[in-house]
Amino acid sequence: MIAFIWSVIILTLIATIMISLYGISRRPNLVKKLIALTIFGDTANLLVVLLGYRLIYPVAPPILPSLSKEALQTFVKTAVDPLPQALVITAVVIGMAVNVLIAFAIVQIHRLYGTVDTRELSKKLIQVEGGEQ
Amino acid sequence: MDVIGLTPIIPILFAFALPLTSILIKGNRKLIQAYALTGTGLTLVSSFKLFQLAYASENPLVYTFGKWIAPIGIVYEVDKLSALIALITAALMFLIAIYSYRYLEHDEGLEWYYTLYLGLESGLLGVLLTGDAFNLFVMIEVTSIAAYALVMFYRDRGDSVTAGFKYGLIGAIGTTMYFIALGILYGAFGTVNFAHLAMKIHLPAASFIKVSSGYVTLDVLLKAEPTWNIILASGVALALATWAFLIKAAIVPNHFWLPEAHPAAPSPISAILSGLVVNVGVYAMIRFLYTVYSDVSGELAHVVNVLSAVVIALGAVSALFGAFMMTIQKDVKRLIAYSTIMHMGYLFMAVGVGSSLGLQAAVFHLINHAVAKALLFLAAGIFIHAVGSRNVENLAGLGRKMPIATFSLAIATLSLVGVPPFNVFFSKLALFNALIEENFGLALVLVISSAIALFAYMKVFYIIWFGKPRKEIEVKEPMSMSLVVLVLALTCLAIGLLAPVILDKFIAPAAEQTVNYQVYIKAILELASKTLS
Repeated sequence: MIAFIWSVIILTLIATIMISLYGISRRPNLVKKLIALTIFGDTANLLVVLLGYRLIYPVAPPILPSLSKEALQTFVKTAVDPLPQALVITAVVIGMAVNVLIAFAIVQIHRLYGTVDTRELSKKLIQVEGGEQ
Repeated sequence: MDVIGLTPIIPILFAFALPLTSILIKGNRKLIQAYALTGTGLTLVSSFKLFQLAYASENPLVYTFGKWIAPIGIVYEVDKLSALIALITAALMFLIAIYSYRYLEHDEGLEWYYTLYLGLESGLLGVLLTGDAFNLFVMIEVTSIAAYALVMFYRDRGDSVTAGFKYGLIGAIGTTMYFIALGILYGAFGTVNFAHLAMKIHLPAASFIKVSSGYVTLDVLLKAEPTWNIILASGVALALATWAFLIKAAIVPNHFWLPEAHPAAPSPISAILSGLVVNVGVYAMIRFLYTVYSDVSGELAHVVNVLSAVVIALGAVSALFGAFMMTIQKDVKRLIAYSTIMHMGYLFMAVGVGSSLGLQAAVFHLINHAVAKALLFLAAGIFIHAVGSRNVENLAGLGRKMPIATFSLAIATLSLVGVPPFNVFFSKLALFNALIEENFGLALVLVISSAIALFAYMKVFYIIWFGKPRKEIEVKEPMSMSLVVLVLALTCLAIGLLAPVILDKFIAPAAEQTVNYQVYIKAILELASKTLS
């Protein structure tokens, strides 16, 4: 049963990744592309957090209450792996920076062209015949 | 503080302090330029020192952040390969900082430009020096975010912003792929440190490595068996990571962002993007295939071989595709951008070959391409700066008015197509030797694409030198820009003339140390046991 639930979760996450990649490549709206990108990033983060999870009971957050041998033993027995969480929090912060930058680009594109639809955008994007400076 | 830890820290400190400093000095352009030159100059000094240290020592140098030893904390591990590429990176960044001042004389926001510029330099150096796969991810992101923002530097121009958007979107997909790969590696091996990963992959063979101190905990930690099926996990993780690196290096079919993003940026940034930022993908690929997965046997070797075959095939397609697309471009910077795709194709072909000869050729070509491509973009930038147009037709006849720039442009184009005695000829020769050992067809791809590229470059050069000017423009050669390109042009010539010495003294030891995973692991272990005892 546990194996079944486990594989259902993993398959759901992989399906979400596939759907978000579809959204990035096929949706014509730039904002929806960004939303799909955040879904992709968050799914990846969830997948990595899941790696640190342990299928045991009871399972505890990785906090060491006091610096003693007994506390350390229960910690080793029950705590989940803290490293994936540390990795994910770094990735979340970096992802925020990238998302803000892409959101800025979308706002700027809307200012310049008045649209965020790729189909209309490609009509308006005139081949710049050298407009440097 | 150690010079290893210091090298990427200097530019990031300068970058973070720059917005505040520019308020204090009231946005004085000369002071900002002096500040940027100090930042990049100090980094150059530091990476030169690092280069000397790495070449003087037998083992790779290790630096631990906050004294946390290898598998627990983040370490920087610098071998000869990293130090060599870091030196080239720092030197080019310094020269391009000199060039940027005149190029951006009509633009606002020099302080933001240099903030991102120094951030980009720090990211690049971090990628090269790090000994930790997760830190590599962070540093790739630092590089990428600065690069996306610099592509959008002309934020009122639609093509820049659209190109930056595309670059950002595809880059974010790539780095997330790499993040998933890291998760899988961590799940399987319980570590993200390069040396520790290499040790666990070579576990039966690597058990010869004894930890000299009596600490059992360290031994247990280091030699714990991988938990998952490492063949499957390595296969999936390597495939995802390779995909990410292919996106970063713009190999077909992940190339489509490059011909838009590189021309849209200011010319000095185009030079950095084409010369240095795409190297990140190649370097990371070399680190994974040659250090972490070097000399693997059995099923793992099969995984690595399949991956190498894919990389070679995509590289060959890229080389031909880039060469053909070069011939039909009207925009001079777009033409150079397609040439970058072609050269990245060569590099990935050489990396995929997997022999020591291939690695040497790849490293030498990486360095030569960085210098020559940066030179080409900078020389073309001088013409673009004078005319204010990227169309080749508008640059017609300018060559005679700017002799130094034209001379440098000539050297860059001749060098990149592989005419002796310039530098790229010798690395192309090395590539040819490495590829012909693998397959005659690959060597043929190299020759054919070079010939097509020659045709495309000569067309541009002919127009710039012999073409009739459309309108008379008064241009004077901007000296600070011309001197930078002259220095780079002479470097191209010097590397070409000294090629046998450089190959023998710098490239061969670097390649030799890169494939020697045992030394790579030992350096970390020795430091760990020294710290514990």
